[in-house]
Amino acid sequence: MSSYDLLRQGLRAPICLTWEMTYACNLLCVHCLSSSGRRAPDELTTAEAKALLDEWAAMRVFYINVGGGEPMIRPDFFELMEHAIARRIGVKFSTNGTLVDRDAARWIASTDYLDVQISVDGASPDVNDAIRGVGSFSRARRAMELLAGEGFPFKVNHVVTRRSFDQLDALHGLVTGRGGRLRVTRLRPSGRGVAVWDALKLTQEQNRRLYTWLRAHPDVMTGDSFFHLSALGSPLDGLNMCGAGRIVCCVDPRGDVYACPFVLADEFRVGNVRDSSFASIWSDSPLFERLRGWEVGGQCRTCGAYGRCHGGCMAVKHFTGTPLDDPDPECVFAPESGPTATIIPLALSPRPIRP
Amino acid sequence: MRRSDRVRLDEAVALRPERFGALGYSYRDRQLFFIDGRLLPFIDSDGARPLGDIADELVAGGALEESAVPRLLTVLEGLRRRGVVHVVV
Repeated sequence: MSSYDLLRQGLRAPICLTWEMTYACNLLCVHCLSSSGRRAPDELTTAEAKALLDEWAAMRVFYINVGGGEPMIRPDFFELMEHAIARRIGVKFSTNGTLVDRDAARWIASTDYLDVQISVDGASPDVNDAIRGVGSFSRARRAMELLAGEGFPFKVNHVVTRRSFDQLDALHGLVTGRGGRLRVTRLRPSGRGVAVWDALKLTQEQNRRLYTWLRAHPDVMTGDSFFHLSALGSPLDGLNMCGAGRIVCCVDPRGDVYACPFVLADEFRVGNVRDSSFASIWSDSPLFERLRGWEVGGQCRTCGAYGRCHGGCMAVKHFTGTPLDDPDPECVFAPESGPTATIIPLALSPRPIRP
Repeated sequence: MRRSDRVRLDEAVALRPERFGALGYSYRDRQLFFIDGRLLPFIDSDGARPLGDIADELVAGGALEESAVPRLLTVLEGLRRRGVVHVVV
């Protein structure tokens, strides 16, 4: 039985569990998947967060992906991360890097089971800062240098867009030259990403070139986010399937549980950890049960590439108003949709960094 | 891997029971892997008994086909090469 079939049977705990710790953020990136900026007044308290981590440890969750918002804004950030690691839950946390100072870099480098990925959306300030805010590139680069100075193998997460596409080689060099590793992920029309989707999504030609580039750079991670491109030939590394509710889920700062961090929408919310145990939500949610058995139907089932892309990303379909049984809006066999110019004015403007 | 070998799980590896057997994760190289349920008695032995003794007991109890044993030893050898299990000396 293939890993695809094994995982569709459902697991006792998620593999890819994202915990958005806070919606507070000192940046206002134009494509933020969780529309972060302001802290939710009812976010989980320290005690509630620790209880949740204890439950995940009991379920033998191997690691969690911590994000936000900017997780380092939470005053109890270090306390909660140490609570997780002491229970053998590995932590992979995403940060914009602005709050990584020398002390934080030392703590990161001295902590086992901890991975850090710094978000960078271009290899130069003009490209990155148009998306993430004025000054964000230099702050992220400083975080990289502080971590490199500690000998820590940091990662950089890059949401590739049509503006940054031509900088992939430069960014790869910038990261690996400091001892880091590059991760390239797909732009989704989630959160504020809806407003900039048409302006920033890759053109079809860029998608094809990206597939070739990724195949030529096996050291670059993708978080399995480009499985729709596997239709172009040999599959990219990863499970090449939508993991929502099967191996993936997301807990937001208030304790709401969603099928995937890219579908923070009511239709995909299955419960709240304040009302039920996480384990019961994971195992008993009718929506998760449906998602585990669901396979994209329609015209995808007669496509020769179905076994490699399985119909694409549910979140991209949802937020573009595409029926879930239709092909991914960025299906490699579909004609170009929307504008193709490299620079299209953004519908939103990022703001400068708040202290 | 030989029937006389004893194996134990690497200390940086965690296993979680699943319907198909177990899901494993290595904190060292951040890799996930699937473990066939028939391998678990060997891995869970924690180096206490030779693999052949465990296999004989499982076969005698009807929990394992004798013909499957060579294949399982080969898979265990693959796990040893990946650093998931170690031979106890």
